Amino acid sequence: MSLAAFGLAPIYVEWLLWGFAVTLLLSASACVAATLGGVLLCAARISPLAVLHVPARIYLGVFRNTPLLVQIFFWYFAGSAIFPTPLLDWFNNPHTVVLGFGGQTWLSFRLPSFEFWAGFTALTFYTTAFIAEEFRAGLRAVPAGQREGGLSLGLSPALVFFLVVVPQAARHAFAPLLGQYMNAVKNSSLTMAIGVAELSYASRQVETETFQTFEAFGIATVLYILAVAVIEGTGELVQRRREKKYGRGALS
Amino acid sequence: MNFDVVLNNLPYLLWGAWPQGPIGGAALTVWLSLLSGVASAVIGLVLGIWLYMSRGAVHSVLILFLGFFRAIPVLMLIFWTYFLLPVVLGFSVPELTTVVCALALIGGAYLAHSVAAGLRSVGGGQWEAGISLGLGRWRVLWLIVLPQSLRRMAPSFVNQWISLIKDTSLAYVIGVPELSFVATQVNNRAMVYPAEIFLFVAFVYFVICGVLDLVATAIAGEAEPEARTRSV
Repeated sequence: MSLAAFGLAPIYVEWLLWGFAVTLLLSASACVAATLGGVLLCAARISPLAVLHVPARIYLGVFRNTPLLVQIFFWYFAGSAIFPTPLLDWFNNPHTVVLGFGGQTWLSFRLPSFEFWAGFTALTFYTTAFIAEEFRAGLRAVPAGQREGGLSLGLSPALVFFLVVVPQAARHAFAPLLGQYMNAVKNSSLTMAIGVAELSYASRQVETETFQTFEAFGIATVLYILAVAVIEGTGELVQRRREKKYGRGALS
Repeated sequence: MNFDVVLNNLPYLLWGAWPQGPIGGAALTVWLSLLSGVASAVIGLVLGIWLYMSRGAVHSVLILFLGFFRAIPVLMLIFWTYFLLPVVLGFSVPELTTVVCALALIGGAYLAHSVAAGLRSVGGGQWEAGISLGLGRWRVLWLIVLPQSLRRMAPSFVNQWISLIKDTSLAYVIGVPELSFVATQVNNRAMVYPAEIFLFVAFVYFVICGVLDLVATAIAGEAEPEARTRSV
C-alpha cells in the first residue's frame, strides 16, 4: 500500500502517522492516569475533613486557572529539580522495550524521552483537575431522594454511597468524561512546545521540510478529527446500548 | 526558592519592551484576551442565534461547521489562520491578528452551543405570548427571549473567557511576545531558577483569571444564590 496522500511523499506521511501514534500514546496514558487521579481528587474534594478538601480546592483552583502551556514549561524546565533523582535517571536514559515470544521479536521500541515524561506529567495533572470536577458534578446530579431512600432501607451511609449514588453518578459523568478525553487529545498538541514529536510537531516539521503547508496541516487536522470522532462514536454506542437496556429516557 | 530572577525581569515580564519597543508580557496577554473575548462573544451570539432559528440543511451545515472548530486543537487552528489568512486576504497579517482570529473562532464555536441551549431553556409560552401579541419571530427573539436567556448563558461566557485567557498562551508558537513567550525568553537568558519563573507566570495567569471570575460573580450578584450554596 502506498502511503502517498494529497501529493505528499510517503516518507512525510509516515512522519505524520508516527506523530499521530505519539499523540494517541501520550493522550491515552494521560487519560488513564488522570481518571485514577480524578477519582482520588474528587474523593478528597467532597470529604468533610478540612485536611483533605482544602488542599483539593487549592489544587483545583491552581491547575484549572493556569494555562497548560505554562504547566508544561514548568515540568520540563523545573522538572530536574522536582522529580526524584532515581526517576530522573530513568527518564534520561533510553530504554528499549522488546515485546516478543519464543525468541521472536514482535515489537521493539525505545521508551519515550524526558520530554515525553514531562509532557505526560503536565497533561495528567491538568486533566486530573477537570475530570475530578466532572465526577463531582455527576455525584451532584443524583437526586437527594435516592440517598434518603437507601438510608431508609437501613443501608449504612457508606453502602448507600457505593451501591446507590456512585452507579448513578457514573452514568451522569460518562459523557462529560469522554469530553475531557477529547480535550486531552487536543491538549496533547501543546507538548510540541517542549519538543515532543507528536502530531502537531510532525505537521510543522513536514511543513518546513516540504513547503506543502496545506497537505501537512490538512492531514494532521483530519487525524485529530478522526481521534475525536472515535471517542464521540464510542459515547454514542454506549448511550444506545444503555437505551436498549433501560429504555429511552433512562439516565443519560 | 530565589525570586530575584523574577524581580530583576519584572518590567519585561509585565509589559515587555514597552515604552522603548512594542508592548508585551502580561499586558499583551490581557489585551489579547480582551480582543478575542469580545470577538468570541459576538461570533458566539450570532452563530448561536442562527443555530437556534435555523432548520433543515442550513442547521446541519452549521452543526458540522461548529463541530469542526470544536474538534481540532487550538494550536492547529492557529497554524491554519497563520498560513491561510495572508493567502485569503492577499496581504501580510500581523501575528497578533491571526491569534485573535483563531481564538475568537474556537471560543465562538463553543459559545454558539451555549447560546442556543440558553435560548431553548426559555419556555415555549414566552414565544406563544409574543407571537399572539402580533410580534414577528425576530422581534420576539430580540425583545422577549434573548434578554431572559442572556442571564442563564452568563456562566458559560465566563468559563469560555477563562479558557480564552489560558489559550492566549498559545500565541507563543508563532512568536507573539505575550507572557508565556517572554517567560521562556527570560528563562533562556537566565538559565537558572526555571521553577521560580514559571511559578510567577502561572500566578499572573491565576490572578487574571481570578479577577475575571470575581468581577463576573459580582455582576451576577444574587442571580442564583441556591447554585452557590449547594454542596457535594
